[in-house]
Amino acid sequence: MSLQDRLSTIRDAAVSEFTGALDLPALERSKGLFLGPEGRFTALMKELSALAREERPLAGKAINAAKQELEALLAEKRATLERTASLPKEAADFTAPGRRRPLGRLHPLTLVTEDIVRAFRRLGFAVADGPEIEDEYHCFDALNTPSDHPARDAQDTFFIETPGRPLLRTHTSSVQIRVMETMPPPIRIVVPGRVFRRDNADATHNPTFHQIEGLYVDKGVTLGDLKGTVEAVFKDVLGDDVKLRFRPHYFSYTEPSMEIDFTNALVKKLGKDWLEIAGCGMVHPKVFETVGYDPEVWSGWAFGFGIERIAMLRYGITDIRLFYENDARFLRQF
Amino acid sequence: MKVTLNWLKQYVDIPWSPEELTERLTLLGVEVEGVQKIAGEWDGVVVAQIVTRDKHPNADKLSLCRVNDGTGERQIVCGAQNFKVGDKVPLILPGASLPMKLGDKEPFTIKVGKIRGIESHGMLCSHEELGIDPESIGHLKEDGLLLLGETAVVGQSLASYLGRSGSDIVYDLEITPNRPDLTSLIGIAREIAAITGQPLRLPECPVLAECGVTAASLVSVSLEALDLCPRYTARIIRGVKVGPSPAWLRSALEKVGVRSINNVVDVSNYVLLETGHPLHTFDYSLIAAGAGGKPSIVVRRAVFEESFTTLDGRVHSLGQETLLIADAEKGIALAGVMGGSNSEIRESTVDVLIESAYFLPASIRRTSKALGMRTDASYRFERGADVGICDYASRRCAALILETAGGQLADGSVEFYPSPLDPHQVALRHQRTDALTGTVISPEEQSRILTGLGLVDVTPIGGSIETATWLIPTWRVDLKREVDLIEEVVRVFGVGRIPSTQPRRAQGSHPADAHFDRLTEVRRLLSGLGLDEAQGQTLVSEASARWVTESVVLLANPLSSEMNALRPSLLPGLLDTLRHNLSRRNGDVQLFEIGRVFVPHEGGVREGWRLALALTGARAPRFWSGLERDARCDIPDLKGLIEEVIERIGLRGIAWLRRPEPTSLFIESASIALGGKLALGQLGQLQPQLAKLYDLRDGVFLAELDLDLLFQRGNSGKSFKPLAQFPSIQRDLALIVVESTTHDSVLAVVKQAKPAHLETVTLFDVFRGKHVPEGRKSLAYSFTYRAADRTLKDDEVNAAHARVIEAVKEALGAVLRD
Repeated sequence: MSLQDRLSTIRDAAVSEFTGALDLPALERSKGLFLGPEGRFTALMKELSALAREERPLAGKAINAAKQELEALLAEKRATLERTASLPKEAADFTAPGRRRPLGRLHPLTLVTEDIVRAFRRLGFAVADGPEIEDEYHCFDALNTPSDHPARDAQDTFFIETPGRPLLRTHTSSVQIRVMETMPPPIRIVVPGRVFRRDNADATHNPTFHQIEGLYVDKGVTLGDLKGTVEAVFKDVLGDDVKLRFRPHYFSYTEPSMEIDFTNALVKKLGKDWLEIAGCGMVHPKVFETVGYDPEVWSGWAFGFGIERIAMLRYGITDIRLFYENDARFLRQF
Repeated sequence: MKVTLNWLKQYVDIPWSPEELTERLTLLGVEVEGVQKIAGEWDGVVVAQIVTRDKHPNADKLSLCRVNDGTGERQIVCGAQNFKVGDKVPLILPGASLPMKLGDKEPFTIKVGKIRGIESHGMLCSHEELGIDPESIGHLKEDGLLLLGETAVVGQSLASYLGRSGSDIVYDLEITPNRPDLTSLIGIAREIAAITGQPLRLPECPVLAECGVTAASLVSVSLEALDLCPRYTARIIRGVKVGPSPAWLRSALEKVGVRSINNVVDVSNYVLLETGHPLHTFDYSLIAAGAGGKPSIVVRRAVFEESFTTLDGRVHSLGQETLLIADAEKGIALAGVMGGSNSEIRESTVDVLIESAYFLPASIRRTSKALGMRTDASYRFERGADVGICDYASRRCAALILETAGGQLADGSVEFYPSPLDPHQVALRHQRTDALTGTVISPEEQSRILTGLGLVDVTPIGGSIETATWLIPTWRVDLKREVDLIEEVVRVFGVGRIPSTQPRRAQGSHPADAHFDRLTEVRRLLSGLGLDEAQGQTLVSEASARWVTESVVLLANPLSSEMNALRPSLLPGLLDTLRHNLSRRNGDVQLFEIGRVFVPHEGGVREGWRLALALTGARAPRFWSGLERDARCDIPDLKGLIEEVIERIGLRGIAWLRRPEPTSLFIESASIALGGKLALGQLGQLQPQLAKLYDLRDGVFLAELDLDLLFQRGNSGKSFKPLAQFPSIQRDLALIVVESTTHDSVLAVVKQAKPAHLETVTLFDVFRGKHVPEGRKSLAYSFTYRAADRTLKDDEVNAAHARVIEAVKEALGAVLRD
């Protein structure tokens, strides 16, 4: 057989061998058989030198062409087999539950507080705070609540068994006094915080609960300003469809004082015309005098409401105690 | 307080529907908390007069009439024959129902309907249809319509013509504590009059017939406690006949929830409700005579521990500050609170003494509080009664007693009012109202409103036109300064009429503002890390507080021993929460709480913000695959969370100092310290006995951090470090060391060896067991070496690493593990 013929035989054998390889190791073995140092194709190349000088270029060219062809085939086959080999052994079940990275939930009171604070902050209010343990002066006297006022009954207030018998603040309004005592007007604050009343826990009472209130003191602050801001905050917190009604009322530290009722689709669904939501009023001049502001120069308003109440309305919660039990099934709903 | 519509109408015309009255009162600041309709007899039946009577065009036996019902004429088809034009007859209006008769399943309701093709707007009634026995009301019994007498007024309700009680509406009003004047029918009527501009009709007290015997000759009054009782009036009626009250009086009281007792007592209650002024009536014969031989009233302070029996039968031991109405021998009434059983009106009473006085609010409040007695009288005196109305109320009471119980009024009264209180005056700058409301209310309107409320303009002639001076009526004890008048103007003007103005853009500031954001950031971080947020009670049991610390702040007036201490830590609350969850079959809980705690501090109490974490049960939600799917929470879980928080807040140099011994709370724990000294908090595993007490089964891991300190010392500022330009070289090292060797001690030794170019040291395995002797453990570390300015050579790193190996062998007695 001529070299050419043998070349053709070996090439065909290699092509069939490479094509038929079932996996990568088989392919590599086949490669060794033909293109390895001891391979048949390599042996053929060694025979070139034995050829007549004039035959060499032609034979060499043919051998090179065949080699390139085989190498290309090898590369292609290798890629195919590699692809096959990298397939997952078992198919993924895309319907099986995913592995969740657990995400914790914030307490509903936190969420509501943050929403309300955000509404106030949009209007330029800064968060202020004060102690939960208060003295009678900041909680009552300075707020124009005289010592024989019913709100000061021991039934309503927790006292602390330490010298001076301080109390747990019954409202966040004590912070109004704390802030005005230490900062000159104008004042523009929002005060979220815990307050305490000596009530036994039931579906609508807990000895601990939360209030939030806004205070604005400046020159020329009016009742119209109060109404406008209350409306802006409650639209933000309760939705644009909320309607408000201001009813004259009595609080010792504001005058005129009002209670605020609201209504929206939810209230109608509850079968009511109005639901009471907040108290407000123009800061009483006596309060200004107490903190050393001149009521002839400064005027202001305050309004406050319960955070639990908003959360209960928003989420349809009917028992206030749920907030303080921290049942995971409760917390995970928000 | 309860009032009825019909009673109110005696004092003022009300141009509104009952529903509108509810709305108006509420918007005036008198919140209507409840409305109750009382059905009357023959509702919807009025007196009508026949105007024309013709034959029905389509029926021989029917008449077609036009009748006047008092508001206009209407067409009625009628089958009766016994009437003529001009007769007054009962007309039942469409919508109203006839009284039910035996055998009726539901009442027959009248509708506008056609009878033989002609519309009839109501029905003229017979006595049978109305269920009336005509003879009982002095009418003839005849077939056909019930013909009413000449005294019937067209349009009047049949009930009122017959003297029966008509329908009425009871309003339950919430009266704010600053308005004692509104605890009366007249007070409410005055408010209505102020908005409608209608006149207020006060009951007239005609000059009363007198009998020639003066009151002064029958009783003496001495005020020994003028400071507590500045005014006292006594009137005497002799020869009354105590008995049941007339129907009008009983019905008026019962509708507003006051029980009828007898005519004399009922009258004093009626006048109390009408005028708001509490009166008391004594049986004159039971008042002991004094030195002058005649019965004497002494208003004095009680003697310490003086015993007194109120008319409800309770025996009280009085304090020295209790104001007592006494006679020469004994107390006969607790002033302003309740009368005594020894002098009350009884059936045998013949002579009555009417007391009308003014007592100091603080005094009555003290007594009512001390004795735990709250009565209609004390409620009003406590808030401030009307000193000016004493005599009027007394006369009104006397007139009604004479009317209902008969008797003769002694001439005049015995009155003590030695130093009449000066009427109060308050100036109002009209412009001030506008400034405070942000709207213009004209001076005329302001004056009209205040006048309507009974204030009197006493501005001196020629005074400033910008300012008016107002005389405050004695019943308005709440009007003391300008802003009080502004409030009145606003109330009556209507808050709803004051336009809202856009919130002003201005910037507030307060140190707590930034703190709020820092708290928010920590909350977001921890919820992102998979923890749910809890909010616990501030009040906890002293016992649970003592698990955490010995220094506990106690309440002076707790509600229960379950809530008698202020939380010194958030951990007791979190334990309660864990128990609550476990009892509801949720054993996998990962929670955090941010809140305030309270610790005794230099004789007072210090409040501080804390962060607490609690983990128990499975580390991750249940999953169907993975090596760690059954993993339970452990100390490294807890520490990892704390590390995230501390890193976010920006603290470095934290030491975790293992406590040598268990504590009352923890079986195993460490304190977290900054710079090795400043305690930031603690973490550990709960004592199993304590866990058992809380019904917790799995390991419970708790941590608490002082957020105030964390925020104070933290620096969350970030700065960029250039990215490494050259490759690193890594060397791993497994050391077998004694159990007590801590990670920190390994790091310290490595640090001391100062190996060149060491970048990081990472613990990647802790192993005990095969090939590691008992009492020892294998710690495997990965060391990363890198130079900032070039690629390190192997032999440089080998040299550095050799120092590390030497150092740990020498300092820790470590053996290298292959």
